[in-house]
Amino acid sequence: MSKQAKDSQPFYQPEDQIPLPPKDADVITTCCDYCVMACGFKVYRWPVGAPSGGPKRDQNALGLNYPLRPGQGGWVGPNQYTQGKWNGKMHHIAVVGDHKSRVVNVGGGHSIRGGCIAQKVYNPQKPTQDRLQHPMLRINDLLMPVTWDFALDIAAEVSNHVIKTHGESAWAMKYFSYQYFENTYALTKLALKAINSPAVAHHDHPSFVNSAPGWVDIGYDIFGASHEDFALADCLLISGTDPFETKTTLWNHWILKGINGNHTKVIMVNPRRTAGVAYAEKHGGLHLDIVPGSDTAVHMAIERVIVENGWEDAEFIKKHVANQWETDSGFGQGTRNTPWQWRTTWGKFQVKGFEDWKQWLLAQEESKVEVAAKIAGIDPQKIYLAAQMMAKPKANGERVKTSICIEKGNYWSNNYLNTASIGTLGVILGCGGRPGQIMTRLGGHQRGGVSGGKYPTWKSPYKVPGRRRHRLDLDRWLEDGHVRFAYVVGTTWIQAMPGSSALEDAFKKLTKFNPHQVRSFDKQTIIDTLKRRVDSGGMVIANQDIYLRDPIGNQYADLVFPAAGWGEEDFTRANSERRVRLYGKFCDAPGEAMPDWKIAASLAKKMGFKGFDWKDSNEVFEETCRFSRGSRKDYNAIRVVARRKGMRAHDFLRGFGTKGLQAPLLLDGDRIVQTKRLHDYNRKDIPDSGPEATTVHNKRLLAFKTQTGKLNLVKSPWKLWADFYEFMQPKGDELWVTNGRINELWESGFDDYERRPYTQQRWPMNFIEIHPADALARGIESGDLVAVESRRVPVQKNFNLGVKSDDMWFSGLMKDGHIELVSGAYSAIAMVTPAIKQGVAFSEFLKPSMPANVITPRVPDPITMNYRYKIASARVTRIGESTFKHSFSQMSFKRRDIT
Amino acid sequence: MSNPIDDTQKPGVCMTRRAFLFGGSAAVVSTVLLPGLPGLDSKALAAEVARYPRKLIGKLSALKLNSPHKFNYPDEYQNSNSLLFRLDALAGGGIGPDQNIVAFNALCTHMGGSLEGPGAFSAPDQALGPCPLHQTSFDLTRHGMVIGGHATESLPQVLLELEGDDIYAVGMLGLIYGRFDNLNTG
Repeated sequence: MSKQAKDSQPFYQPEDQIPLPPKDADVITTCCDYCVMACGFKVYRWPVGAPSGGPKRDQNALGLNYPLRPGQGGWVGPNQYTQGKWNGKMHHIAVVGDHKSRVVNVGGGHSIRGGCIAQKVYNPQKPTQDRLQHPMLRINDLLMPVTWDFALDIAAEVSNHVIKTHGESAWAMKYFSYQYFENTYALTKLALKAINSPAVAHHDHPSFVNSAPGWVDIGYDIFGASHEDFALADCLLISGTDPFETKTTLWNHWILKGINGNHTKVIMVNPRRTAGVAYAEKHGGLHLDIVPGSDTAVHMAIERVIVENGWEDAEFIKKHVANQWETDSGFGQGTRNTPWQWRTTWGKFQVKGFEDWKQWLLAQEESKVEVAAKIAGIDPQKIYLAAQMMAKPKANGERVKTSICIEKGNYWSNNYLNTASIGTLGVILGCGGRPGQIMTRLGGHQRGGVSGGKYPTWKSPYKVPGRRRHRLDLDRWLEDGHVRFAYVVGTTWIQAMPGSSALEDAFKKLTKFNPHQVRSFDKQTIIDTLKRRVDSGGMVIANQDIYLRDPIGNQYADLVFPAAGWGEEDFTRANSERRVRLYGKFCDAPGEAMPDWKIAASLAKKMGFKGFDWKDSNEVFEETCRFSRGSRKDYNAIRVVARRKGMRAHDFLRGFGTKGLQAPLLLDGDRIVQTKRLHDYNRKDIPDSGPEATTVHNKRLLAFKTQTGKLNLVKSPWKLWADFYEFMQPKGDELWVTNGRINELWESGFDDYERRPYTQQRWPMNFIEIHPADALARGIESGDLVAVESRRVPVQKNFNLGVKSDDMWFSGLMKDGHIELVSGAYSAIAMVTPAIKQGVAFSEFLKPSMPANVITPRVPDPITMNYRYKIASARVTRIGESTFKHSFSQMSFKRRDIT
Repeated sequence: MSNPIDDTQKPGVCMTRRAFLFGGSAAVVSTVLLPGLPGLDSKALAAEVARYPRKLIGKLSALKLNSPHKFNYPDEYQNSNSLLFRLDALAGGGIGPDQNIVAFNALCTHMGGSLEGPGAFSAPDQALGPCPLHQTSFDLTRHGMVIGGHATESLPQVLLELEGDDIYAVGMLGLIYGRFDNLNTG
C-alpha cells in the first residue's frame, strides 16, 4: 500500500459555499429526467450579477431558515447548483427536490442521481460544455458543422431514395421509448404513420415488443400500482432488482415506511447481496440468492408449496380467475398474427382454469422444491420459507397481503417463462387491484411513450411455425444488410444491444468500409454519393443526441443532429404510478440544438409529409392526448378540460406542479377524476359517463386486462428454456457474468459517467464484483484490472423461417446453422466482495467504453423477442493492477452491504 | 475534548484568495485547485484554510483506535457535529505516524441524518453509515466518498494538522449539510 495517504487529494473537490436563491428568483417546476420514479423538483433561477438570497426564510425563495435541520429537505448543496443561460444571459440555477412534495419524493427526497441533476444543465464552463451544438456532416471521415437545412436536405433526399428504391423496410428508426410524449409521438408519427416502416425498435429491444409478455397473457398491467401500496403490504416479493439501488425514493419513502411502520417483510430475489437486501434481511426479510436464469423453477416450487398446503386465495381465484369457458373466450380467437394471440393458441401455455393449472404444476419435475433449489443453487428451506411468508394465513385466519414486483434481473433472463410463472404466483396469491396487494414492474426509464402510428406487424418477414409472425428484429435485419438508412435517436445503439462486438462489425462494414464516402461540400454530390452507398448495399446513419456518442455518432454516423432535452423545452411524461407532470423549460438549449420532436418534424416536412406543422411542444402534446385514450396513462382529459377553460394543455397541467395528475384520468363534468391503482374492482368513483365520454372504455380500471376481465393462469414449461440455459451455463473455469444497474449510475449514464466528477470519483471505470473464493482461484484482488472474455457468445443470424415446431428453439437454430458463436471481451476493475454469490460475477451494464454487453447472447427469447441480457458466461482473468488499487481519491472497494 | 481550545482567527478578517474568487456574485467557475489539501506536512494550503478557524480538537496520545471522538467544527452551531477517527488503515488525508487519523462532519450529506449514533461507525470497513434515515454509507479512507446510497456529496472532510501531540482542525473540504456556507450560520 502506498505511503502517500497523507498527501492524497480527493478527485472531486466541491465548493464550501453556495449562493441561495433570492426571494424573487424564478421558480419552475419539473421532475427528475432519470428513473421511473420521476421525483418532483423545483428549479430556482436568478441572474448572475443580481443579489443572492439570505439565510432567513423571508430572504430566500426556498422559504427555509438556514442552516437546515437534520432530515429537512430543500438543501442546496454544491451538486444542486450550477449556472446556465436563459434568454442568452448567464443565470444561477439551483435544482432542488421539492421539499413541499407530498407524493413520490415526499419532503424533497432524491437519489444520488436526481440529486445531482443540476449538473446536467448545459454550462459552458463545466463538463457539459461538450454538448452537441450544431448539425454535423461526416466529410473525409471527420464530422464538421453544417446548417440545419443542409443536413436535413441530405437526410430527406437519401431517405426518400431509400424508401422508393429499397422499400420502407429499408428505412429504420432506433429510438428511446421514454423521452417525453411530444418526442416519441413525433418520431413514431414519422416512422410508423408517415413512412410505415416495420424496421422500428426501442432502445432496449430488438423489436417493438412488450417487456413482461407473461403478464400480458395473464391480464396484469405492468404499472398498475400506487406507490402507497408498497407501504401497505405485509410481504413484498421483489425480483430482479433492489429498489434501494434503483427506484431510490420508492425505497426511501414507501418501502421503508412499510418495513418500519407496517412490519413489511421483504423477500429479495437477486444473486447479489445489495444494501437493500441486507436491510431487508435485518428486518425479518429473506434473500433468495439464486443463480441467474433459474427464477422460473423457484417460482414454480413456491407455487407448489402454496397449493400443496392449500394457501392459495381460493375466494379471489373463484371470482377473478378465468375458468375453462372463460379462458377459451379470452384466448380462443383463432390464429391471428398478433404476438399474444399466437402465443396463447399454441397450447403450450393455455390451461382450463385453476384445477387444470394445478395439475400441470404438480406434474412438473422443476416444481419440486429440491429440484428447483438445486437449479437455483439455494437452500431448499428458503423456498418453503418464502412460500410461508407470502401465503400462510395469519394466526387469526386472515390472509397475508402480498405484493409482487419485478424488474430486469427477472424478465431479461428468461423473459416469457419468468414473467408467466411469477404472474401465476401473483394470481394464486390474489395480487392485483387491492391496497397493498399489487402486481407491478418497478420500472426503468419513465413512461414517456405515445405512439403516433400503428406498428405494421404484417410487414415483418420473420415467421415462426404455424402462421405466426414476429415483429421485425432490427439488429438481425441490419446485420443482414437490409437497412439502408438508419435514424438513431437518443440511444447507444451497438453497446446497448447484446453480442455488441458482432453488431459493431456490421455497422463498420455497412458504413466506414463502404467505398462511397463523402469528400465534397457540394450538396448534390453528397446526396449522389450517399445514394450510391445505399444502392451498393451500404447504409447511411443519422444520429440524433445531446452528446456525440462513440461509436454510433463519432465513428459511423454520416449526419449528427444536436438535440435539446430536459429543461430546454416544455415536456410531459408519466411515472411508475402513472402520474403525468409537466417538465418546465428553464434554460436555453446549447447552440442550434432543437428538441427531438422538432427535428423529426423538420425531416418529415422535407421528405414531403403532411401533419408535422406544430408550432411548439404544446401543440404536439395536444395532438398526442387523444392517442392516450384507453391506455394506462390516458391523459386526454387534460386537453378536454384545458380547451373548455380556453387554456393551452401544457399550461393547464403546469398548474398541478410536481403533483401532476394520476392517470388514467376520467371526466365527471368538468372535474378530473384520477386513478390510484388499476384493476381496482372495488372502486366506486367511476363517473357514469365513463373515462371521457362513453366512447372509450378502459377495461383495466375495474377489471383485469383480458377478454373476460378475469386473469388467465398460464403454464411455464421449463423445457422451452432448458436447451438455451444449458448452453449458457459456465463451462470449465467460466463464471456466470451478469450485469445490471447500480445506485450511482442508473438511467443517467449519459450524464453521470462522463460528465459528473462526483460520480467519476466513485466509478471511473466499469467494475466486476467477484466472490472472494472465485477471486482467490484466479489470483485476483480488489483493484486489479481484469479481462472478461468469452469466445462462445451466441448470435442469431440470418432470416429464419421456422416451419417445424422445434425449429425456433435454441437447439433447432443451432442445428440449422442460424447461431454463430462470436467472441467478446471487456476489461473491468475487480471488486472482491462476499456480497455476490459464489460462481457469479456482476458488472455495470452499459459503460460505453467497457460494455458488458459484448459477452451477452444476441439470441432473443423465441417466444417474445426480448433479449436475455442477464445471462452470460465468461472467463475472468487478471491483467494487472489498476491505478485505483492504491488510490485514496477514486473508487472505493468497501462492501456495499454493510448493515 | 470537553473544553476545546479555540485559537481561532475569526474568518473574514482578511480577504483570502478563495474569498476573493468566490465573493460577491461573480460567476462561480468550477472548483479552484489549491496547492495541497488535506494532511499537509507544511501549512501550505493557504487559500482554503485561510477562511477557517484553527482549532485544537484532540491529542494524538489520547486517541484510541476505532473509537470516534466527537468535536464541533468550524463552530459550535447547528450541524457542526464532527468526528475524529484513528482508523485501522491508511486513510486519504490521514495524519499521524500511521497516516490514519482523519476527521469528518457527522451529518449525512443526503438529508442530514446523524452519523454519530451507536453502530454508525463500522470499524472493520472503516466506514461511516449506513445512515439511519436512508442507509447511505461513506468510506473514511477515501476522503468520505460514498460507498453506496443517495448522498450527493462526499462526507465533508475536516482538514487536520499535527503539532507535537496536538491535533488541530484547520479547514474543511465540502459543504456541511444544511448550510449554504460553512462559515455562515445565519
